[in-house]
Amino acid sequence: MIKIRELEKWFGNLHVLKGINLDVNPREVVVIIGASGSGKSTLLRCINFLEKFQKGTVEIDGKVIEKNNEKMINEMRIHVGMVFQHFNLFPHMTVLQNVIEGPTQVKGIPKKDAIKMGRYYLEKVGLLEKENSYPSMLSGGQKQRVAIARALAMEPSVILFDEPTSALDPELVGEVLSVIKDLAKEGMTMVVVTHEMGFAREVADRVIYMDDGIIVEEGCPNKIFDEPKMQRTQDFLSQIW
Amino acid sequence: MYYDFSAIVKYFPFFLPAAWMTIQVTVVGILLGVVLGLLTSFSRISENSLFNIPAKIYIYIIRGTPLLLQLLFIYFGLRSVFGFKAFTSATLGLGIHNGAYIAEIFRGAIQSIAVGQMEAARSLGMTYYKAMRRIILPQAFKRAIPPLGNQFIIALKDSSLASAITINELLLKSQQLASSNYRMMEMLTIAAMFYLFYTSIFTWLFNKIETKLAVSGSR
Repeated sequence: MIKIRELEKWFGNLHVLKGINLDVNPREVVVIIGASGSGKSTLLRCINFLEKFQKGTVEIDGKVIEKNNEKMINEMRIHVGMVFQHFNLFPHMTVLQNVIEGPTQVKGIPKKDAIKMGRYYLEKVGLLEKENSYPSMLSGGQKQRVAIARALAMEPSVILFDEPTSALDPELVGEVLSVIKDLAKEGMTMVVVTHEMGFAREVADRVIYMDDGIIVEEGCPNKIFDEPKMQRTQDFLSQIW
Repeated sequence: MYYDFSAIVKYFPFFLPAAWMTIQVTVVGILLGVVLGLLTSFSRISENSLFNIPAKIYIYIIRGTPLLLQLLFIYFGLRSVFGFKAFTSATLGLGIHNGAYIAEIFRGAIQSIAVGQMEAARSLGMTYYKAMRRIILPQAFKRAIPPLGNQFIIALKDSSLASAITINELLLKSQQLASSNYRMMEMLTIAAMFYLFYTSIFTWLFNKIETKLAVSGSR
């Protein structure tokens, strides 16, 4: 579904991604862990071209995305949902309007059908009763669940999560993680960047440990968390557990 | 010399045509300024230097020279070329002048919207222009309202400079009348009353708009 090959990215002189190869298969949940500055968020943002990279290719659903082809990138983004650390809900729209904005404006779905769909996904994240609220009236956890519903309403084939719980108060993390876990159970393909190790272990089919712009180690959660092979992985895990 | 209140009552009606002229010059100037300002702010934030460089030059020249000079320049300079009347010169001058300031107001408002808003819109597959129109501009307009109200009040008062190019507005009228009735203070008082009346209306109007926008979705 996603094939990343030899991806390299510089921010000015800073070499942040140094040749990344990564495949994400349908119905797979890939969790990327690593210290701040390891390049994990940048890698995620390269997948849907929010970040431009200098070398390498990203292939999505069998198509190599051309970095200067705006039309192709927009088309690809319809199938690749994204959930941000800071939610980025549209503050001038109600919860329901936030959720139907993509379907109506990008996919051209008639408003009536979009509203039906939007309510279905709001129900799914447990926030149907907030459909007429504005984002400023919601808690952080509720905002992030709306953001997830907004991504879902596009009916994407994969969703990227960029540290979805890092901006939340500790007591609100659980409600967001449980929504993501439900999606995993339903077989949604997801790539998740997170610092929540317990969650990573529970939800991931495969864990990627990144450090200093490279993938140091990858494998199933038990392998990475219980018997990491690389010294760097061991050091990182011993610091955070 | 004493201050004669009866002169105010007596000469007040003579100001009405001038008061109407002030309104016309101001409103046409502001409308032109808003259109120019919008176009310029979009050009200014464009990554294409074909657009952003002319916008920068326009803003640089207009903000760097006095409005009075600009009015005289248009009136005496361009009138001979294009045959502008005084009214056209005045509204054009005021419009071009305010356009530069309004462009910077809009640019500031657009750039004050968090990058995440554009990213979220683009990640849904929206084009840059659709994201601008649906997501960024509605929020930016709201933020532009207070400084825009301020700019409109400045434009209203700046319309008095059009007196220098023969526009018979409030200030010129007060001086014309004073030169025949020798009641300069009283005539200036009448002009001041009109300006205060107009600025009060602007202030009230913008407060209304701000409250209304604050109710529908906040941040």
